[in-house]
Amino acid sequence: MAAAALGAAWRALRPASGLLGPRPTQPRDARRRASLLSFWGFVPMRAEPLRKKKKVDPEKDQAAKERLQKRIRRLEKATQELIPVEEFITPVKFLNQARQRPPVQLPFEESERSALLLKKWSLYKQREHELERAAIASLLEAQREAVRELELTLHAEANKRDPGLFP
Amino acid sequence: MAAPTRRTVLGLARCWRRFESPWSLGSRSLTLAAAPSNSASPWRLLGALCLQRPPLVSKQLTPMQEEMAALLQQIEIERSLYSDHELRALDEAEQLAKKKSDLYEEDDEKNILLVQDLEDMWEQKFLQFKPGARITDADVKNDRSSLHRKLDRNLILLVKEKLGDQDIWMLPQAEWQPGETLRQTAERTLATLSENNLEAKFLGNAPCGHYKFKFPQAVRAEGSLGAKIFFFKALLLTGDFSPAVEKGRHVWASKEELGDYLKPKYLAQVRRFLLDL
Repeated sequence: MAAAALGAAWRALRPASGLLGPRPTQPRDARRRASLLSFWGFVPMRAEPLRKKKKVDPEKDQAAKERLQKRIRRLEKATQELIPVEEFITPVKFLNQARQRPPVQLPFEESERSALLLKKWSLYKQREHELERAAIASLLEAQREAVRELELTLHAEANKRDPGLFP
Repeated sequence: MAAPTRRTVLGLARCWRRFESPWSLGSRSLTLAAAPSNSASPWRLLGALCLQRPPLVSKQLTPMQEEMAALLQQIEIERSLYSDHELRALDEAEQLAKKKSDLYEEDDEKNILLVQDLEDMWEQKFLQFKPGARITDADVKNDRSSLHRKLDRNLILLVKEKLGDQDIWMLPQAEWQPGETLRQTAERTLATLSENNLEAKFLGNAPCGHYKFKFPQAVRAEGSLGAKIFFFKALLLTGDFSPAVEKGRHVWASKEELGDYLKPKYLAQVRRFLLDL
């Protein structure tokens, strides 16, 4: 059908010999050509036959997937680098030498007193921690016993969570 | 861990003995069938409310803490860099010294406000500031039924109830009714206490402590051997007793003052679940 169309087109377009002489007049030919072109111009004569979707689609899909995989791999490599933390970089204005304090030499008594105070403080804090721990342990123990007593009298409500306490 | 298990084993043994003794022929199936039904349980259940007013002000530092705070401040200043304010002060001191030595006017100071002036102004403001009083009127008068006392401590509500023929101080409680959870019993106690003036946030569904005691022989009716009180913690949000309520029936006590009111065994159990702060 395409070959027939092509043949008809060729016969139409070649200069009509005999009737009009060896050289046909331009306007008529142009008119014919224009009208012929306007008709045949719509039909894509030089196109290849339509390809079926099945052949190329899997190839295209695979190519797209591989591109994505490549991009993912590149991103993963990028995320392994450490992002600099803003707070660890000292601002430039604090590197000024003029800002340094002159080192203070404490008298001997002062340093003794502060050393003793630090030792006493560590002891005090340790005792405080022990007291706190004991208080929390007794709190938990009292609650555990109460819940056990409650279970003995067969109440199941105590173990449920209170949704009002969760944010 | 050995002590609690022993206690629970004893408790269990006591309970089973209670169940078995009314039926001297005591077949296992009878006791097991009787246990779920509450009418046979000889323990009365009461839900009590441990209503706490959290502290409003931080505690004062002990002398040790004050010394340490001062030392830490000193160390921090020694190890720091000069701040902008201090640099400006140093510059101005230099300029002043130069001016005194040079004795001719340079271009008039761009900043009329010297650092010294600023510091003086701040000093003045600080001296004029009067912080609120830590010790309130109620502390001075030792009015224990007021809520506005001991602002840096936890306060717990105690009420005086008639039990038998005695007036006993205890945490507010109410009898458990079937069909409600014990926490709802505690909430009911709160509502009846103040006729819906007090608002509290309950800390969870589980009780924080319990106290059980047996009735004296005279009061013991059949089927009620004693009572178990389960305490539920709540934090006071807003509200207080209206002044119309008669004085002397309630008290807001801190942990040390509990000993003035509660019986020894009751007190021992209550102390376990109160943090000392």
